[in-house]
Amino acid sequence: MSTTLKKTIPVAIVFVVALIVMMDYFIIMPPVDTAGKSWTNTAVRDLQNWGVILTAFSLGFGAVNLFYFHSKHISRRTPNQWQFSLWLLIVIVIFTVTGVAMGPSSDQYNWLYNASYFALSATVYSSLGFYMTSGLYRALRLKNVESGIFLVVGLIVLAKNAPAMAVYFPVLGTWVSFISDVLTTSAQRGIMIGGALGAISLGIRTMTGRETGFLGRLTEEERGGGGTA
Amino acid sequence: MSKQGKSIWDTLENIPREVLYGILLVVFVIPMIYPLGLPIPVSANTQKWYQTIEALPPGSVVMIDFGYSGGGEPELGPMAVAVYHHLFRKGGIKVICMSTSIEGPQLWDKAMAELRPEEKYGVQYGVDYINIGYIAGTETAMAAIGKDLRATTSTDYKGNPLSQYTIMDGITDASSFDLLLCYTTGGDQSEGWVRQWYTVYETPYMCSVLAMMVPTMLPYQNAGQIISVTSGAQAGEMETLVRVPARGIKSADVITLTHLLCLVYVAVGNIAYLGKRFSGGSK
Repeated sequence: MSTTLKKTIPVAIVFVVALIVMMDYFIIMPPVDTAGKSWTNTAVRDLQNWGVILTAFSLGFGAVNLFYFHSKHISRRTPNQWQFSLWLLIVIVIFTVTGVAMGPSSDQYNWLYNASYFALSATVYSSLGFYMTSGLYRALRLKNVESGIFLVVGLIVLAKNAPAMAVYFPVLGTWVSFISDVLTTSAQRGIMIGGALGAISLGIRTMTGRETGFLGRLTEEERGGGGTA
Repeated sequence: MSKQGKSIWDTLENIPREVLYGILLVVFVIPMIYPLGLPIPVSANTQKWYQTIEALPPGSVVMIDFGYSGGGEPELGPMAVAVYHHLFRKGGIKVICMSTSIEGPQLWDKAMAELRPEEKYGVQYGVDYINIGYIAGTETAMAAIGKDLRATTSTDYKGNPLSQYTIMDGITDASSFDLLLCYTTGGDQSEGWVRQWYTVYETPYMCSVLAMMVPTMLPYQNAGQIISVTSGAQAGEMETLVRVPARGIKSADVITLTHLLCLVYVAVGNIAYLGKRFSGGSK
Protein backbone atom coordinates (compact mmCIF):
# COMPACT_ATOMS: atom_id res chain seq x y z
CA MET A 1 0.00 0.00 0.00
CA SER A 2 1.36 3.39 -0.90
CA THR A 3 2.46 5.94 1.68
CA THR A 4 -0.20 8.30 0.34
CA LEU A 5 -2.97 5.86 1.20
CA LYS A 6 -1.46 4.68 4.48
CA LYS A 7 -0.30 7.98 5.89
CA THR A 8 -0.93 11.14 3.88
CA ILE A 9 -4.69 10.76 3.42
CA PRO A 10 -5.46 9.69 7.05
CA VAL A 11 -3.30 12.53 8.42
CA ALA A 12 -5.03 15.00 6.08
CA ILE A 13 -8.46 13.79 7.33
CA VAL A 14 -7.33 14.16 10.95
CA PHE A 15 -5.97 17.64 10.22
CA VAL A 16 -9.18 18.87 8.57
CA VAL A 17 -11.48 17.32 11.21
CA ALA A 18 -9.42 18.68 14.11
CA LEU A 19 -9.31 22.10 12.49
CA ILE A 20 -13.11 22.24 12.02
CA VAL A 21 -13.74 21.14 15.63
CA MET A 22 -11.31 23.75 16.97
CA MET A 23 -12.71 26.46 14.70
CA ASP A 24 -16.20 25.73 16.00
CA TYR A 25 -15.00 26.23 19.56
CA PHE A 26 -12.87 29.34 19.12
CA ILE A 27 -14.36 31.34 16.23
CA ILE A 28 -17.73 31.90 14.55
CA MET A 29 -17.22 31.30 10.84
CA PRO A 30 -19.63 32.98 8.41
CA PRO A 31 -22.20 32.31 7.06
CA VAL A 32 -24.21 32.42 10.31
CA ASP A 33 -27.82 31.22 10.45
CA THR A 34 -30.75 32.95 12.18
CA ALA A 35 -29.95 31.16 15.44
CA GLY A 36 -26.45 32.68 15.37
CA LYS A 37 -24.78 29.37 14.60
CA SER A 38 -22.10 29.02 11.94
CA TRP A 39 -21.73 26.20 9.41
CA THR A 40 -19.03 24.63 11.57
CA ASN A 41 -21.65 24.01 14.25
CA THR A 42 -23.60 21.65 12.00
CA ALA A 43 -20.43 20.04 10.71
CA VAL A 44 -19.11 19.39 14.24
CA ARG A 45 -22.50 18.10 15.38
CA ASP A 46 -22.43 15.54 12.56
CA LEU A 47 -18.82 14.62 13.24
CA GLN A 48 -19.58 14.06 16.92
CA ASN A 49 -22.57 11.90 16.08
CA TRP A 50 -20.38 9.87 13.74
CA GLY A 51 -18.03 9.45 16.69
CA VAL A 52 -20.87 8.17 18.86
CA ILE A 53 -21.97 5.73 16.14
CA LEU A 54 -18.43 4.53 15.50
CA THR A 55 -17.87 3.92 19.22
CA ALA A 56 -21.12 1.94 19.43
CA PHE A 57 -20.04 0.00 16.34
CA SER A 58 -16.65 -0.72 17.87
CA LEU A 59 -18.39 -2.32 20.86
CA GLY A 60 -20.13 -4.76 18.52
CA PHE A 61 -16.93 -5.26 16.58
CA GLY A 62 -15.12 -5.98 19.85
CA ALA A 63 -17.66 -8.69 20.66
CA VAL A 64 -17.09 -10.30 17.25
CA ASN A 65 -13.34 -10.11 17.76
CA LEU A 66 -13.74 -11.68 21.20
CA PHE A 67 -15.67 -14.55 19.61
CA TYR A 68 -12.94 -15.05 16.99
CA PHE A 69 -10.12 -14.93 19.54
CA HIS A 70 -11.68 -17.31 22.06
CA SER A 71 -13.02 -19.72 19.42
CA LYS A 72 -9.40 -20.35 18.46
CA HIS A 73 -8.55 -21.25 22.06
CA ILE A 74 -11.48 -23.66 22.18
CA SER A 75 -10.73 -25.34 18.88
CA ARG A 76 -7.03 -25.69 19.82
CA ARG A 77 -7.89 -26.83 23.36
CA THR A 78 -5.32 -24.39 24.78
CA PRO A 79 -4.33 -25.79 28.20
CA ASN A 80 -5.78 -23.92 31.20
CA GLN A 81 -7.57 -21.54 28.89
CA TRP A 82 -10.13 -23.18 26.63
CA GLN A 83 -12.62 -23.92 29.40
CA PHE A 84 -12.69 -20.25 30.38
CA SER A 85 -12.99 -19.21 26.75
CA LEU A 86 -15.95 -21.55 26.34
CA TRP A 87 -17.61 -20.18 29.45
CA LEU A 88 -17.06 -16.62 28.23
CA LEU A 89 -18.70 -17.38 24.88
CA ILE A 90 -21.64 -19.11 26.58
CA VAL A 91 -22.19 -16.06 28.79
CA ILE A 92 -21.95 -13.68 25.82
CA VAL A 93 -24.53 -15.74 23.93
CA ILE A 94 -26.91 -15.86 26.92
CA PHE A 95 -26.70 -12.09 27.45
CA THR A 96 -26.99 -11.29 23.76
CA VAL A 97 -29.95 -13.60 23.14
CA THR A 98 -31.79 -12.33 26.23
CA GLY A 99 -31.06 -8.70 25.36
CA VAL A 100 -32.14 -9.04 21.75
CA ALA A 101 -35.19 -11.22 22.42
CA MET A 102 -36.53 -9.58 25.59
CA GLY A 103 -34.93 -6.12 25.36
CA PRO A 104 -32.07 -4.69 27.43
CA SER A 105 -34.49 -3.04 29.85
CA SER A 106 -36.60 -6.18 30.36
CA ASP A 107 -36.97 -7.84 33.75
CA GLN A 108 -35.27 -10.96 32.42
CA TYR A 109 -32.19 -9.06 31.25
CA ASN A 110 -32.05 -7.06 34.47
CA TRP A 111 -32.31 -10.25 36.51
CA LEU A 112 -29.49 -11.80 34.53
CA TYR A 113 -27.34 -8.71 35.02
CA ASN A 114 -28.10 -8.33 38.74
CA ALA A 115 -27.71 -12.02 39.52
CA SER A 116 -24.43 -12.51 37.71
CA TYR A 117 -22.33 -9.61 36.49
CA PHE A 118 -23.41 -7.01 39.05
CA ALA A 119 -22.92 -9.34 42.01
CA LEU A 120 -19.51 -10.49 40.78
CA SER A 121 -18.37 -7.01 39.85
CA ALA A 122 -19.34 -5.56 43.25
CA THR A 123 -17.69 -8.51 45.03
CA VAL A 124 -14.41 -8.18 43.16
CA TYR A 125 -14.30 -4.44 43.75
CA SER A 126 -15.17 -4.84 47.43
CA SER A 127 -12.45 -7.43 47.91
CA LEU A 128 -9.94 -4.64 47.29
CA GLY A 129 -10.77 -3.43 50.79
CA PHE A 130 -9.11 -6.53 52.23
CA TYR A 131 -5.95 -6.11 50.16
CA MET A 132 -5.76 -2.43 51.04
CA THR A 133 -6.10 -3.12 54.75
CA SER A 134 -3.36 -5.72 54.65
CA GLY A 135 -1.20 -3.37 52.55
CA LEU A 136 -1.81 -0.58 55.04
CA TYR A 137 -0.60 -2.79 57.89
CA ARG A 138 2.60 -3.75 56.13
CA ALA A 139 3.52 -0.67 54.09
CA LEU A 140 2.54 2.42 56.08
CA ARG A 141 5.59 2.46 58.37
CA LEU A 142 7.79 5.10 59.93
CA LYS A 143 11.01 4.25 58.12
CA ASN A 144 12.37 7.73 57.37
CA VAL A 145 11.28 11.38 57.22
CA GLU A 146 9.43 10.99 53.89
CA SER A 147 7.48 7.94 55.03
CA GLY A 148 6.83 9.74 58.34
CA ILE A 149 5.17 12.66 56.52
CA PHE A 150 3.20 10.19 54.42
CA LEU A 151 2.17 8.32 57.56
CA VAL A 152 0.99 11.42 59.43
CA VAL A 153 -0.98 12.79 56.46
CA GLY A 154 -2.46 9.36 55.79
CA LEU A 155 -3.57 8.94 59.40
CA ILE A 156 -5.20 12.38 59.51
CA VAL A 157 -7.15 11.76 56.29
CA LEU A 158 -8.06 8.23 57.37
CA ALA A 159 -9.35 9.48 60.72
CA LYS A 160 -11.32 12.31 59.15
CA ASN A 161 -12.95 9.97 56.65
CA ALA A 162 -14.43 7.96 59.50
CA PRO A 163 -17.75 9.84 59.87
CA ALA A 164 -18.02 9.53 63.66
CA MET A 165 -14.39 10.62 64.18
CA ALA A 166 -15.08 13.82 62.27
CA VAL A 167 -17.87 14.56 64.75
CA TYR A 168 -15.85 13.87 67.89
CA PHE A 169 -12.68 15.60 66.61
CA PRO A 170 -13.82 18.55 64.45
CA VAL A 171 -10.24 19.78 64.20
CA LEU A 172 -9.63 16.94 61.76
CA GLY A 173 -11.87 18.77 59.28
CA THR A 174 -9.64 21.86 59.41
CA TRP A 175 -6.49 19.82 58.91
CA VAL A 176 -7.93 17.83 56.04
CA SER A 177 -9.23 21.03 54.40
CA PHE A 178 -5.68 22.36 54.42
CA ILE A 179 -4.29 19.10 53.06
CA SER A 180 -6.86 18.84 50.27
CA ASP A 181 -7.32 22.51 49.36
CA VAL A 182 -3.68 23.55 49.51
CA LEU A 183 -1.34 20.58 49.26
CA THR A 184 -3.38 18.18 47.12
CA THR A 185 -4.89 20.83 44.88
CA SER A 186 -1.55 22.46 44.11
CA ALA A 187 0.09 19.11 43.33
CA GLN A 188 -2.88 17.97 41.26
CA ARG A 189 -2.93 21.23 39.31
CA GLY A 190 0.70 20.73 38.40
CA ILE A 191 -0.03 17.21 37.17
CA MET A 192 -3.14 18.36 35.28
CA ILE A 193 -1.44 21.30 33.59
CA GLY A 194 1.48 19.06 32.61
CA GLY A 195 -0.96 16.49 31.22
CA ALA A 196 -2.89 19.14 29.30
CA LEU A 197 0.30 20.54 27.75
CA GLY A 198 1.26 17.02 26.77
CA ALA A 199 -2.18 16.46 25.21
CA ILE A 200 -1.89 19.72 23.22
CA SER A 201 1.57 18.71 22.02
CA LEU A 202 0.32 15.24 21.06
CA GLY A 203 -2.65 16.80 19.24
CA ILE A 204 -0.41 19.11 17.21
CA ARG A 205 1.98 16.26 16.40
CA THR A 206 -0.93 14.05 15.32
CA MET A 207 -2.44 16.81 13.18
CA THR A 208 0.84 17.46 11.43
CA GLY A 209 1.62 13.78 10.88
CA ARG A 210 4.57 13.62 13.26
CA GLU A 211 2.76 11.22 15.56
CA THR A 212 1.63 8.17 13.61
CA GLY A 213 0.73 5.72 16.37
CA PHE A 214 -2.97 5.88 15.48
CA LEU A 215 -2.21 4.63 11.95
CA GLY A 216 -1.00 1.25 13.16
CA ARG A 217 2.31 -0.31 12.15
CA LEU A 218 4.23 1.76 9.59
CA THR A 219 7.67 1.27 8.11
CA GLU A 220 10.42 3.78 8.80
CA GLU A 221 9.97 5.17 5.30
CA GLU A 222 6.18 5.50 5.68
CA ARG A 223 6.69 7.29 8.98
CA GLY A 224 8.76 9.81 7.08
CA GLY A 225 12.03 8.88 8.75
CA GLY A 226 13.73 7.91 5.48
CA GLY A 227 16.08 4.96 5.13
CA THR A 228 15.13 1.48 4.08
CA ALA A 229 12.26 -0.50 5.47
CA MET B 1 15.27 -17.69 61.65
CA SER B 2 17.59 -16.95 64.57
CA LYS B 3 18.56 -19.55 67.18
CA GLN B 4 16.42 -17.82 69.78
CA GLY B 5 13.36 -18.14 67.53
CA LYS B 6 10.99 -15.39 66.58
CA SER B 7 10.73 -12.37 68.85
CA ILE B 8 7.37 -10.87 69.73
CA TRP B 9 8.14 -8.04 67.31
CA ASP B 10 8.65 -10.53 64.48
CA THR B 11 5.35 -12.20 65.26
CA LEU B 12 3.55 -8.89 65.48
CA GLU B 13 5.12 -7.59 62.30
CA ASN B 14 4.16 -10.65 60.34
CA ILE B 15 0.61 -11.26 61.45
CA PRO B 16 -0.86 -13.58 58.80
CA ARG B 17 -3.09 -11.77 56.37
CA GLU B 18 -5.88 -14.25 57.12
CA VAL B 19 -6.02 -12.86 60.66
CA LEU B 20 -6.08 -9.27 59.38
CA TYR B 21 -8.84 -10.16 56.90
CA GLY B 22 -10.80 -12.06 59.57
CA ILE B 23 -10.82 -9.14 62.01
CA LEU B 24 -11.82 -6.77 59.19
CA LEU B 25 -14.67 -9.07 58.22
CA VAL B 26 -15.99 -9.18 61.80
CA VAL B 27 -15.75 -5.38 62.13
CA PHE B 28 -17.52 -5.08 58.79
CA VAL B 29 -20.35 -7.51 59.48
CA ILE B 30 -21.33 -6.52 63.04
CA PRO B 31 -22.59 -2.98 62.24
CA MET B 32 -24.35 -4.32 59.16
CA ILE B 33 -26.38 -6.66 61.38
CA TYR B 34 -26.62 -4.40 64.43
CA PRO B 35 -26.44 -0.74 63.31
CA LEU B 36 -24.71 1.31 66.00
CA GLY B 37 -26.21 4.67 65.07
CA LEU B 38 -22.89 6.50 65.28
CA PRO B 39 -23.12 10.23 64.49
CA ILE B 40 -22.78 11.37 60.88
CA PRO B 41 -21.44 14.87 60.27
CA VAL B 42 -22.74 16.74 57.24
CA SER B 43 -19.74 18.08 55.35
CA ALA B 44 -19.66 21.48 53.63
CA ASN B 45 -19.68 19.87 50.18
CA THR B 46 -22.73 17.71 50.86
CA GLN B 47 -24.47 20.76 52.31
CA LYS B 48 -23.55 22.77 49.20
CA TRP B 49 -24.88 19.99 46.95
CA TYR B 50 -28.14 19.91 48.93
CA GLN B 51 -28.52 23.71 48.88
CA THR B 52 -27.90 23.86 45.12
CA ILE B 53 -30.82 21.51 44.46
CA GLU B 54 -32.91 23.26 47.07
CA ALA B 55 -32.36 26.58 45.25
CA LEU B 56 -33.57 25.27 41.87
CA PRO B 57 -36.69 27.15 40.79
CA PRO B 58 -39.79 25.16 39.74
CA GLY B 59 -39.61 24.05 36.12
CA SER B 60 -35.85 23.52 36.23
CA VAL B 61 -34.40 20.70 34.16
CA VAL B 62 -31.68 18.50 35.62
CA MET B 63 -29.45 16.16 33.62
CA ILE B 64 -28.06 13.16 35.50
CA ASP B 65 -25.30 10.92 34.21
CA PHE B 66 -25.40 7.41 35.64
CA GLY B 67 -21.77 6.92 34.72
CA TYR B 68 -20.80 4.24 37.21
CA SER B 69 -20.27 0.53 36.86
CA GLY B 70 -21.59 -2.36 38.94
CA GLY B 71 -18.44 -2.44 41.05
CA GLY B 72 -19.06 1.13 42.20
CA GLU B 73 -22.77 0.71 42.86
CA PRO B 74 -22.49 -0.06 46.58
CA GLU B 75 -20.70 3.28 47.01
CA LEU B 76 -22.44 5.51 44.46
CA GLY B 77 -25.89 3.92 44.29
CA PRO B 78 -27.07 5.16 47.72
CA MET B 79 -25.98 8.72 46.85
CA ALA B 80 -27.82 8.60 43.51
CA VAL B 81 -30.98 7.33 45.21
CA ALA B 82 -30.82 9.95 47.99
CA VAL B 83 -30.45 12.78 45.46
CA TYR B 84 -33.36 11.44 43.41
CA HIS B 85 -35.43 11.48 46.63
CA HIS B 86 -34.52 15.13 47.08
CA LEU B 87 -35.38 16.06 43.47
CA PHE B 88 -38.71 14.24 43.52
CA ARG B 89 -39.68 15.50 46.96
CA LYS B 90 -38.93 19.08 45.97
CA GLY B 91 -41.28 18.69 43.01
CA GLY B 92 -41.59 20.68 39.80
CA ILE B 93 -38.18 19.53 38.60
CA LYS B 94 -37.73 17.63 35.34
CA VAL B 95 -35.09 14.95 35.71
CA ILE B 96 -33.49 13.55 32.57
CA CYS B 97 -31.02 10.74 32.96
CA MET B 98 -28.45 9.35 30.55
CA SER B 99 -25.48 7.02 30.93
CA THR B 100 -21.91 7.25 29.79
CA SER B 101 -21.37 3.81 31.34
CA ILE B 102 -22.72 0.82 29.47
CA GLU B 103 -24.12 -0.57 32.71
CA GLY B 104 -25.88 2.70 33.54
CA PRO B 105 -29.40 1.75 32.37
CA GLN B 106 -29.40 -1.43 34.49
CA LEU B 107 -28.11 0.47 37.52
CA TRP B 108 -30.70 3.18 36.96
CA ASP B 109 -33.42 0.49 36.95
CA LYS B 110 -31.98 -0.78 40.21
CA ALA B 111 -32.11 2.72 41.71
CA MET B 112 -35.71 3.19 40.56
CA ALA B 113 -36.70 -0.15 42.09
CA GLU B 114 -35.32 1.15 45.39
CA LEU B 115 -36.98 4.58 44.96
CA ARG B 116 -40.42 3.55 43.65
CA PRO B 117 -41.01 7.19 42.51
CA GLU B 118 -44.56 6.71 41.18
CA GLU B 119 -45.68 5.19 44.46
CA LYS B 120 -43.83 7.54 46.83
CA TYR B 121 -43.95 10.87 45.05
CA GLY B 122 -46.66 10.46 42.42
CA VAL B 123 -44.27 11.36 39.63
CA GLN B 124 -44.64 9.83 36.20
CA TYR B 125 -42.12 8.39 33.77
CA GLY B 126 -41.97 10.51 30.63
CA VAL B 127 -43.59 13.48 32.36
CA ASP B 128 -41.39 14.17 35.38
CA TYR B 129 -38.43 11.93 34.72
CA ILE B 130 -36.94 9.87 31.94
CA ASN B 131 -33.88 7.84 31.03
CA ILE B 132 -32.51 8.39 27.53
CA GLY B 133 -30.16 5.44 27.91
CA TYR B 134 -26.52 4.70 27.25
CA ILE B 135 -24.74 6.91 24.75
CA ALA B 136 -21.43 5.47 23.56
CA GLY B 137 -18.31 7.56 23.21
CA THR B 138 -17.90 9.13 26.67
CA GLU B 139 -16.58 12.66 25.98
CA THR B 140 -17.76 12.59 22.36
CA ALA B 141 -21.20 11.60 23.64
CA MET B 142 -21.17 14.46 26.16
CA ALA B 143 -20.20 16.93 23.46
CA ALA B 144 -22.78 15.57 21.01
CA ILE B 145 -25.61 15.64 23.57
CA GLY B 146 -24.62 19.16 24.57
CA LYS B 147 -24.67 20.35 20.99
CA ASP B 148 -27.86 18.64 19.82
CA LEU B 149 -29.54 16.04 22.02
CA ARG B 150 -32.18 15.02 19.50
CA ALA B 151 -29.61 14.47 16.74
CA THR B 152 -27.61 12.18 19.02
CA THR B 153 -30.43 10.04 20.35
CA SER B 154 -34.06 9.81 19.37
CA THR B 155 -35.24 7.14 21.82
CA ASP B 156 -35.28 6.51 25.55
CA TYR B 157 -33.57 3.50 27.12
CA LYS B 158 -36.56 1.30 26.31
CA GLY B 159 -36.32 2.20 22.63
CA ASN B 160 -39.47 4.39 22.59
CA PRO B 161 -39.31 7.66 20.61
CA LEU B 162 -38.47 10.69 22.76
CA SER B 163 -41.10 12.71 20.91
CA GLN B 164 -43.85 10.78 22.71
CA TYR B 165 -42.76 12.04 26.13
CA THR B 166 -43.88 15.48 27.29
CA ILE B 167 -40.80 15.88 29.49
CA MET B 168 -38.71 16.19 26.33
CA ASP B 169 -40.69 19.15 24.98
CA GLY B 170 -38.28 22.04 24.45
CA ILE B 171 -35.22 19.98 25.39
CA THR B 172 -32.72 20.48 22.61
CA ASP B 173 -29.16 20.87 23.89
CA ALA B 174 -27.06 21.77 26.92
CA SER B 175 -28.70 25.18 27.17
CA SER B 176 -31.97 23.41 28.08
CA PHE B 177 -30.50 22.21 31.38
CA ASP B 178 -30.20 24.14 34.63
CA LEU B 179 -28.03 21.65 36.45
CA LEU B 180 -25.84 18.69 35.61
CA LEU B 181 -25.17 15.85 38.06
CA CYS B 182 -22.78 12.99 37.47
CA TYR B 183 -22.19 9.81 39.45
CA THR B 184 -19.17 8.03 38.18
CA THR B 185 -16.41 5.56 38.80
CA GLY B 186 -14.28 7.00 36.00
CA GLY B 187 -12.20 10.16 35.67
CA ASP B 188 -13.10 10.38 31.97
CA GLN B 189 -16.68 11.12 32.91
CA SER B 190 -16.22 13.36 35.95
CA GLU B 191 -13.59 15.51 34.23
CA GLY B 192 -15.17 15.16 30.79
CA TRP B 193 -18.33 16.96 31.85
CA VAL B 194 -16.22 19.93 32.97
CA ARG B 195 -14.53 20.07 29.57
CA GLN B 196 -17.61 19.39 27.43
CA TRP B 197 -20.41 21.15 29.32
CA TYR B 198 -19.15 23.55 31.98
CA THR B 199 -16.39 25.07 29.84
CA VAL B 200 -18.52 25.36 26.70
CA TYR B 201 -22.01 26.10 28.07
CA GLU B 202 -21.28 27.01 31.72
CA THR B 203 -23.87 24.49 32.89
CA PRO B 204 -23.76 24.33 36.71
CA TYR B 205 -22.21 20.98 37.53
CA MET B 206 -21.86 18.71 40.58
CA CYS B 207 -20.39 15.23 40.74
CA SER B 208 -20.25 12.34 43.11
CA VAL B 209 -17.29 10.04 42.62
CA LEU B 210 -15.45 7.22 44.34
CA ALA B 211 -13.75 8.44 47.54
CA MET B 212 -10.31 7.79 46.06
CA MET B 213 -11.14 10.06 43.09
CA VAL B 214 -12.03 13.12 45.19
CA PRO B 215 -8.47 14.57 45.34
CA THR B 216 -8.33 14.52 41.52
CA MET B 217 -11.59 16.43 41.28
CA LEU B 218 -10.93 19.05 43.99
CA PRO B 219 -8.89 21.39 41.74
CA TYR B 220 -11.98 21.77 39.52
CA GLN B 221 -14.12 22.62 42.52
CA ASN B 222 -11.57 25.07 43.89
CA ALA B 223 -11.45 26.73 40.46
CA GLY B 224 -15.25 27.13 40.51
CA GLN B 225 -15.85 24.72 37.63
CA ILE B 226 -17.71 22.25 39.83
CA ILE B 227 -20.10 23.47 42.50
CA SER B 228 -19.58 20.49 44.76
CA VAL B 229 -17.62 17.25 44.66
CA THR B 230 -18.77 14.51 46.99
CA SER B 231 -17.82 10.89 47.36
CA GLY B 232 -20.35 8.10 47.33
CA ALA B 233 -19.19 7.30 50.86
CA GLN B 234 -20.97 10.51 51.92
CA ALA B 235 -24.35 9.08 50.96
CA GLY B 236 -25.21 8.84 54.66
CA GLU B 237 -24.82 12.63 54.92
CA MET B 238 -27.17 13.16 51.99
CA GLU B 239 -29.69 10.71 53.44
CA THR B 240 -29.53 12.64 56.72
CA LEU B 241 -30.25 15.93 54.94
CA VAL B 242 -32.99 14.43 52.76
CA ARG B 243 -34.34 12.52 55.79
CA VAL B 244 -34.54 9.20 53.99
CA PRO B 245 -32.40 6.78 56.02
CA ALA B 246 -31.21 3.93 53.83
CA ARG B 247 -28.03 2.14 52.78
CA GLY B 248 -25.83 5.22 53.14
CA ILE B 249 -26.51 5.73 56.85
CA LYS B 250 -26.11 2.03 57.49
CA SER B 251 -22.76 1.97 55.72
CA ALA B 252 -21.54 5.03 57.68
CA ASP B 253 -21.18 2.84 60.79
CA VAL B 254 -19.20 0.34 58.75
CA ILE B 255 -16.99 3.08 57.32
CA THR B 256 -16.28 4.49 60.81
CA LEU B 257 -15.41 1.12 62.33
CA THR B 258 -13.29 -0.11 59.43
CA HIS B 259 -11.39 3.17 59.31
CA LEU B 260 -10.74 2.93 63.06
CA LEU B 261 -9.52 -0.62 62.53
CA CYS B 262 -7.16 0.65 59.84
CA LEU B 263 -5.78 3.19 62.34
CA VAL B 264 -5.24 0.37 64.84
CA TYR B 265 -3.52 -1.72 62.16
CA VAL B 266 -1.17 1.13 61.28
CA ALA B 267 -0.39 1.72 64.97
CA VAL B 268 0.30 -1.97 65.66
CA GLY B 269 2.35 -2.34 62.49
CA ASN B 270 4.51 0.62 63.44
CA ILE B 271 4.93 -0.47 67.06
CA ALA B 272 6.12 -3.84 65.79
CA TYR B 273 8.44 -2.27 63.24
CA LEU B 274 9.95 0.24 65.68
CA GLY B 275 10.13 -2.34 68.49
CA LYS B 276 12.10 -4.66 66.25
CA ARG B 277 14.32 -1.86 65.06
CA PHE B 278 15.20 -0.58 68.53
CA SER B 279 15.72 -4.08 69.87
CA GLY B 280 18.34 -4.56 67.18
CA GLY B 281 16.30 -6.88 65.01
CA SER B 282 16.22 -4.67 61.92
CA LYS B 283 18.04 -1.69 60.46
